[in-house]
Amino acid sequence: MAKVKSDIPYQLVLLPALFPWSWFQTSALMATPAIANNGNLIKKVHFPRYVLPFATVANNMVHFLLTIPIIMIIILASGRQPNYTWLIGIPLLTLLELVLLLGTVLIVSAIDVFFRDLEHLLDVLLNLAFYMSPIIYPLSALGRYQKVALINPMASLIEAWRDLFARNQLPTPIDVWPCIVWAVVTVLVGSFIFGRLEKGFADVL
Amino acid sequence: MFSDDTAISLEGISKRYYLRSQRPVDLKTTLLHLPSFLWRDSNRKAFWALDGVSFSVARGESIGIIGPNGSGKSTLLKIVADLARPTQGKIAVNGRISALLELGAGFHPQITGRQNAVLNAVLLGLSRREAEEALPDIIAFSELGDFIDEPMRTYSSGMYIRLGFSVAVHVHADVLLVDEVLAVGDAEFQQKCFDHIEKLRAKGVTIVLVSHDLGSVTRFCERAVLLHHGRVQVEGKSQPVVHEYLSRIAAVLGHAVSS
Repeated sequence: MAKVKSDIPYQLVLLPALFPWSWFQTSALMATPAIANNGNLIKKVHFPRYVLPFATVANNMVHFLLTIPIIMIIILASGRQPNYTWLIGIPLLTLLELVLLLGTVLIVSAIDVFFRDLEHLLDVLLNLAFYMSPIIYPLSALGRYQKVALINPMASLIEAWRDLFARNQLPTPIDVWPCIVWAVVTVLVGSFIFGRLEKGFADVL
Repeated sequence: MFSDDTAISLEGISKRYYLRSQRPVDLKTTLLHLPSFLWRDSNRKAFWALDGVSFSVARGESIGIIGPNGSGKSTLLKIVADLARPTQGKIAVNGRISALLELGAGFHPQITGRQNAVLNAVLLGLSRREAEEALPDIIAFSELGDFIDEPMRTYSSGMYIRLGFSVAVHVHADVLLVDEVLAVGDAEFQQKCFDHIEKLRAKGVTIVLVSHDLGSVTRFCERAVLLHHGRVQVEGKSQPVVHEYLSRIAAVLGHAVSS
């Protein structure tokens, strides 16, 4: 097993990647049953249905933003200084992750209405994705498999978060292009699937 | 065919539900039994909750929908409220709908009546600011007094309906759908609701009332529709329609007694 080398201490490898990941994982897990669990509301009140999964994502986004001061404390404790790049990078990466999440939850929350075991399946898949994403290790640890790992929509995003927090490096579109592609695709596919399936929500809940 | 005076127009509305007992509800079963799932899919048992319902409601009119349990009344309201889509047929609704389809639908038991009133008004289509503005009227109408700041889990069903109805009639809707819920309120509040409905009607609001309280239907609805097995049996002035319904009931009961 190759030894993982990094220019930064391990707490700065782990934490700046772990918190954005938690936002993704918790939102996806909580938003999946957001429609299926609110059958009573869906059947009795008319309102845009996407509000339910979106609210879960927004809620968890606030939780995530509140963990940024903790990251900052760890950075300072490691003898580093955050700089202006955070002011630009945090909104940009938050937006990217938000779009990716909104698209994702549109897909899974709509399907979950018809196949309730998706929640459990997703739980397992997200655990798998946790280890497959460069969270507890830097992407560079994967050596020549880095390119393959970048197919994972979260891989480039997690790396960008880490570069921003631990190295004060601004993300460029080239760094996060796989994530941008995924975000656009999930939003398009999600809107389509949600629009098709929402007609049947009230009938099966 | 759709003039400005028409509030709701229904043309050949049918709604099919599949009886779900044969259909897997999870991904695992579906994938493991894919061939039989597809095969069964074409053999699902259909149930027509509504079968070719057509009628229209003029603006400012109040119409009662009556019929025995399972005749399709609530399904019809759901379709008018755009909560469910018809399998066949065309529906057009002119203006904004406010629907009061179930006691306390959309209320969260843990937050206060005041917060729920705002939440519910927003769900029914008001903006946050409009909801805040309507709040004093809503609270006054509900007569909940200090209880408005108590969590809703402490409310009685009468209090639920008071708040639910108050919100539903204060969201400036063009069409108000009320399903059966008024029975929970006391006589005084019911009277107040009907008075208020009367006022709304004078302003051109269209009312659709589903009820088993045939007395209220004759009193407050100009017209009535009698549904049975998802079909319109009789439609017309409310008095004769209610009378027809009652005589049908009497016929069935008489038959049961004589046999």
